Amino acid sequence: MINNRQSKGRILATFALAFGLIANAYAGVKVEQDAPTFSLPNTKGEQVSLADYKGKYVVLEWTNHLCPYVKKHYESDNIPAMQRNYTKQDVVWLSIISSAEGKQGYVSSQEADELTKSRNAAPTHVLFDTDGKVGKLYGAKTTPHMYIIDPSGTLKYAGGIDSIKSAKQSDIKKAVPYVEDGLTALLSGKEVKDKLTPPYGCSVKYKS
Amino acid sequence: MKFARVLAILLSFVGCLPSLALSQTTSEPSIPPIGNLEAGNLQISNLQISNRATGPHIEVALVSEHNALQKGQTNWIGIVLSPEHEWHTYWQNPGDSGEPPAATWRSNADLTFGEFLWPVPKQIPVAHLVNYGYEGQNLLMLPLTVSNAVQAGEQVQITSELSWLVCKEDCIPGWATLTLTMPVAENEIDQPTPSQYAELFAQTRQQLPNAEKLSGKHEITESHLTVAYQAPYQSTWQLLPLRSDVIQHNQNQTQLTEGESTTNVIALSDYFIAANDDLQFLLTDGKQGYYLASQLNAGMLTNISTEPELSIALILIMAFVGGLILNIMPCVLPVLSFKALSISQQSMSVGQKLGYALGVLVSFNVFALLILMLKQGGEAVGWGFHMQEPMVIACLAFLFLFIALVLMDIGPSGSRFAGIGQSLVAGNGVSSQFFTGILAVVVASPCTAPFMAAALGVALVSPPVITFAIFNALALGFALPLTLIFISQRCKAFIPKPGPWMNTFKQFLIFPMLATVMWLLWVYVGQTNALAQFTLLLALLGFAMLFWLSSKLQGGKSSVAVLLALMLAGSNIMFTQQGQSSNTVKQSQDAFSQEKLQALRNSKQVVLVNMTADWCITCKVNEQVAFNDDALQSLLNQQNVHYLVGDWTNKNDSILNFLQQYQRSGVPLYVVYAGNKYETVLPQILTADMVINALNKAKEELSYD
Repeated sequence: MINNRQSKGRILATFALAFGLIANAYAGVKVEQDAPTFSLPNTKGEQVSLADYKGKYVVLEWTNHLCPYVKKHYESDNIPAMQRNYTKQDVVWLSIISSAEGKQGYVSSQEADELTKSRNAAPTHVLFDTDGKVGKLYGAKTTPHMYIIDPSGTLKYAGGIDSIKSAKQSDIKKAVPYVEDGLTALLSGKEVKDKLTPPYGCSVKYKS
Repeated sequence: MKFARVLAILLSFVGCLPSLALSQTTSEPSIPPIGNLEAGNLQISNLQISNRATGPHIEVALVSEHNALQKGQTNWIGIVLSPEHEWHTYWQNPGDSGEPPAATWRSNADLTFGEFLWPVPKQIPVAHLVNYGYEGQNLLMLPLTVSNAVQAGEQVQITSELSWLVCKEDCIPGWATLTLTMPVAENEIDQPTPSQYAELFAQTRQQLPNAEKLSGKHEITESHLTVAYQAPYQSTWQLLPLRSDVIQHNQNQTQLTEGESTTNVIALSDYFIAANDDLQFLLTDGKQGYYLASQLNAGMLTNISTEPELSIALILIMAFVGGLILNIMPCVLPVLSFKALSISQQSMSVGQKLGYALGVLVSFNVFALLILMLKQGGEAVGWGFHMQEPMVIACLAFLFLFIALVLMDIGPSGSRFAGIGQSLVAGNGVSSQFFTGILAVVVASPCTAPFMAAALGVALVSPPVITFAIFNALALGFALPLTLIFISQRCKAFIPKPGPWMNTFKQFLIFPMLATVMWLLWVYVGQTNALAQFTLLLALLGFAMLFWLSSKLQGGKSSVAVLLALMLAGSNIMFTQQGQSSNTVKQSQDAFSQEKLQALRNSKQVVLVNMTADWCITCKVNEQVAFNDDALQSLLNQQNVHYLVGDWTNKNDSILNFLQQYQRSGVPLYVVYAGNKYETVLPQILTADMVINALNKAKEELSYD
């Protein structure tokens, strides 16, 4: 009886250990903690590092131009308008593509630049995370999935672009614009009200 | 692995198609606003009213179980979603990405629409993420009732504004307005004829979660959620939350079964914001599903505030019965029976009758007051808390010996101390009655009767009013039997007539008294050491001898002997110190105390502190999983490794202080120390290896000296 219980305990311990390890492999980030640093190539092939932007507010936007939820926010000019507005105010906007080669949303540098132009977008950089390492480092699950980092490198916001989880453009006006509200608060020296919201959209098209 | 890659390539290939299809439907630069958009899925013919529509990779239809609607009963309608092979739609919580189908309903008649009933979903992996949904045809059914105002035979239009998302790896949203026209049955009694979809409704009912609703309790740690519940039967159960921001959907859930209770340990979502809300889950083993509502396990808080109020009457009754039973406990019975027998036959005054009960009541209230004051001062005490003091034990040993001596008729005779023992125990005056009451409580204090423990446990964590109420119930129960004998002639009649047998009985009572002394000495050696016990034994012998002397001597000399006996006892009690325990057998587990921890740290030992409680689900999971490990147990048994367990099941301020040092307000808390130079707090969800590693690290730290 005792032996049986102990061996059961051992098996369970092994399970527990196994899930513990998996959990560590995809550890997401936490708000009010240091945002993990990274370095990714932009459309010109230059390495862009998060550390380059210490002292500025940085927005990370996971994107995939073919995802209906991304299209909702680009075709309505919601995200491009935000990019134009905030980059003018010295905010750094990094659009990150974690789509693996051959998967939806994977684009060449040239295509990425064309998309920026045709969509009237104004990110500081479009970055390629083809192997998905940075996406997994940040626990990016969907496109769009948004993060705001403050000048000291602390993560201030993680989650959805807004509050209504749909692909309908008509919902944008009705939704709480979490990212806009967050940036507005931070730029006027206030705290972000909703720091953590569930992201929504298509899954990021990771390699694995 | 290879299979996964092939699958990925395959998926990405097929993935191109839907994106093309999509760009046809929605990429026009000037998409018309809301009105057109709703009917704007271009592949759906929106010119004619229809109950079906086709989008890329999916067909949708609005259907009814029967061909007519029935007044006065629940009708079932639903949306059939038929994605193409390998494509899927979503459950109410889509998981890491995706979106559940949504519908708004309207009609030209007065109809009331219910909510979708969701069949038990499948887990659908997408790369390393997980979605919940349905592959292949699925029906989302909902109840519909027809108002009595609607005319029988009337044709009713049911319209659904439906939106959905259909995905393989890539996703395509769709919208459609579906309209179904059907009659209201003429006759309310006749069953309407089943439609062609009736069979689908029947099949879907098999896939719906069980009607039985389960409940559970959950706890939240930094990284995990633990949910405890009673599983309907043995299986591998998964808890799928109805909200998407509760758990990490792609993580394995660890399931522990212990007796009736099953516990799942689940990685917490990064987007989970802890609150006291109930959490709603679907418990499923892939075949059956049960909705499960889980409440936050507030442990201590609920223990204190709700339980006593719920059953306060019961607790008071338990305390009263406990008090009654306390009368026949071996330490109390001799004193009381002696008292009962020595009642003078002549009538007593009211004061004499009630003096004893008053003494008992006063002592119990003093006891309660003392406990409350000590609690206020930050000490955690309980019934018999004074027994933790060797000084009190010594004191009681002298008292019981004294009573034994009195029963032996050994005592000062010719001095002014003459008869103190007799009058205290057997006297009949108001004050002697009163003091018998106090004495009875004092001799009863080392004992616990059945039912008392539970009542006192509640008393100690309750507000002062309840504490006093419980103590008084106990006191009344305790005082009742003797007081009845004092008051009622009829009860008195039960006592046998005095006679020579009384002397024999009195002598017999000496033995339980001496037995109590022996028990006290046994407790004493556990608290101090053999030498201290020997000193106490000598003092007790001297005390007895001096009393014997006083009985032989006359006048002043007798008093001197009594005074000497008292001084001997007094000095022995005063100089009793909490000595080193002589218990040298090393056990793998020790009760936590701040002093013990500090002493071990000062002597450069490795210490593992485990703060736990019976009501803590997470603690029990860890004890099952991590501490039940042979390697860890043998490590804990090593010479320089010590394992201290703090049990916070009941209120304990020293444990609370310890928790607060680590900015915790609850258990579990695991800390490993290497002397005073190193300490580390372990996660709230443990594995045996984590503990072993931490202990080995601590041993290493010590070896650098």
